[in-house]
Amino acid sequence: MDSLKRKGPSALRTSIRLSLQYSFLYSVLSALVFALAYWFTQYEVQDWVFDQMRSDAATLVEIFELGGDEVLVDRVDALAEVSFQNARVYQLLNAEGAIVSGNLSSVFKNPLPDYLPAQELPLAGEIHDEVTGYWLRADDVGPYLLIQGAGDHIVLEILEALGMALVAGYLAVVILGLVVGVRIGRITERRIAAISNTLTEASCGNLASRIPTTRNARDDLSRVSTEINSMLDQIKRLLESQEQISNDIAHDMRTPLQHLRQRLEKLRDSPMIRPDDISASLDQTEEIIATFNALLRIAQIEGSDRRERFAWNDLREVIGNVTEVFEPTAEDAGIELTIKVPDEHLEVFGDKNLLTQLLSNLVENAIKHCPVGSKVLVLAETTPVGPTLRITDDGPGIECENRERIFRRFFRGEKSRNSPGNGLGLALAKAICDLHGAEITVSENDPGTTFEINFLR
Amino acid sequence: MRVLVVEDDGETAEYICTSLKALGHVTKHASDGKQGFLDALDNDFDVIVVDRMLPGLDGLTLVKSVRGANVDTPILFLSALGGLNDRVNGLEAGADDYLVKPFAFSELSARLTALARRPPMQAEETRLQVADLEIDLIRHTVCRSGQEIAVQPREFRLLSYLMKNAERVVTRTMLLEAVWDFHFDPNTNVVETHISRLRNKIDKPFDQPLIHTVRGAGYSLHG
Repeated sequence: MDSLKRKGPSALRTSIRLSLQYSFLYSVLSALVFALAYWFTQYEVQDWVFDQMRSDAATLVEIFELGGDEVLVDRVDALAEVSFQNARVYQLLNAEGAIVSGNLSSVFKNPLPDYLPAQELPLAGEIHDEVTGYWLRADDVGPYLLIQGAGDHIVLEILEALGMALVAGYLAVVILGLVVGVRIGRITERRIAAISNTLTEASCGNLASRIPTTRNARDDLSRVSTEINSMLDQIKRLLESQEQISNDIAHDMRTPLQHLRQRLEKLRDSPMIRPDDISASLDQTEEIIATFNALLRIAQIEGSDRRERFAWNDLREVIGNVTEVFEPTAEDAGIELTIKVPDEHLEVFGDKNLLTQLLSNLVENAIKHCPVGSKVLVLAETTPVGPTLRITDDGPGIECENRERIFRRFFRGEKSRNSPGNGLGLALAKAICDLHGAEITVSENDPGTTFEINFLR
Repeated sequence: MRVLVVEDDGETAEYICTSLKALGHVTKHASDGKQGFLDALDNDFDVIVVDRMLPGLDGLTLVKSVRGANVDTPILFLSALGGLNDRVNGLEAGADDYLVKPFAFSELSARLTALARRPPMQAEETRLQVADLEIDLIRHTVCRSGQEIAVQPREFRLLSYLMKNAERVVTRTMLLEAVWDFHFDPNTNVVETHISRLRNKIDKPFDQPLIHTVRGAGYSLHG
């Protein structure tokens, strides 16, 4: 019980720790993916800006080739003019290195840097307030040198938007991961706690408690729960059977033991001991032992899963042997005992000893309860379902209300209350049938009784 | 006969030994499995009684070890278990007979006598004779005073078992086991009925009865 209790909290930690570990791993991975996305985007946008400048330069080269110096200078001027808030800057230098056009007022030193902060650029007029610097590029346009610059605000804006999206997404993923992880952990923990509680309760003696299960769940925990529940069912059955046996012993063994004790006390106090008195006591002891053995045997058969000694047996052999044993007894009792078996094998998978005892008990029962002149028939046949064994008599029969109860331990009908026997024969027969997966039924034969045993294939 | 009794319960051991001595047998008692094993190796016993549950070395292992050491002294298992397969397990370990506690001394004594006098490795006799009663095990014929008696197969089996154990006591359960392979005790007196049938044929027409009832124990066939 202690060990069960100790398992509870550790299982709790396991499930939550696992989900936390998953969330952590997930967030680290997400962070990595987001950082990569950020870096690629920056790279791609920058590339795109340079492409833009390259294609602008190519256009200007075409314009120069078509229209000559003036058109080129005008166009560069116009470009510089329309550039809103100096998002783009231009400078056209002639072959001598003098500025001929553009919105940059001084000449750069060689070599031209790829990037310059905005305040280091010789620029008149206001600058877009998100521009922090310019990417620069130089191209030859005919004899001229064209220097272009593009503000980095596009990249910054895109990256800003992307960054915000990424951070928001990242946070969402981490939080969701944590929430879902902890929740799954909690659910698992609760289910494990339910299993643990049920087991604890069971070990404390409450064998009626079961783990709640949903019918359609097919996950491993549900499977384990179902298995534990069926195990508890089995334990409960076994315990009930044991309790039944204790009750039986208390109920039906005390009386003969009391009688034995009385006899022995009388012997102790009597001045002369006759051998007959001692024999009677010994007979009484034998009877008690026989009852005890029969009870134990029923319990062993009922509690047994042990079919390792099972083998194929020809039912006809068992029938032949048992009827041979009982034939003289039947004859003495004035009862006609006949058998009817098929010509072919009638194979039953089972324990030969127990099958013999099963039939013996039923035949014995029939002989005992039938008056002189009765007929008892032992019949075996093959049905589509499997072999069937039938013991039919035309005796007094069994009252309807007793038919259910005759297989109970120590049940004895009114008529047989005073005849010898311990009331365990049919209970034993039933136990043997159960062990063999066979069904035993009793029905009215009009007149008489039929016991039918159906062995299932 | 010399009997080794391996039994840890003092009272039971005392009961067995005293009763056997009263019948003129010599007994030796070993109270645990190891001592029992060492004693059994001496090999000068006619029969060994082994309790199933023993301290030191359990009965099943003891019997296996004794057989492993090539000691073929007949062994009778004494057990309080009496479970479904216990008898078969005991016999498979190498025991020759099995008796469940609680038992009557007459039962134990009869079984020990039957075990001890079993002649080792002797060719099966085909004809048995007790007084003027003779049976042929091959032709399944019964003769008394030169007069042939017709018996049914089941009566022949019963008679031949009694003949093989002539002079000794055979109990009801021994007959049930040996003749009909019944390893349980039916409540009805089936054995008595069979014996009485046999008596009607073997004894009744003649002056001297051969099948005797041994009070509180069983039957004995002798002249």
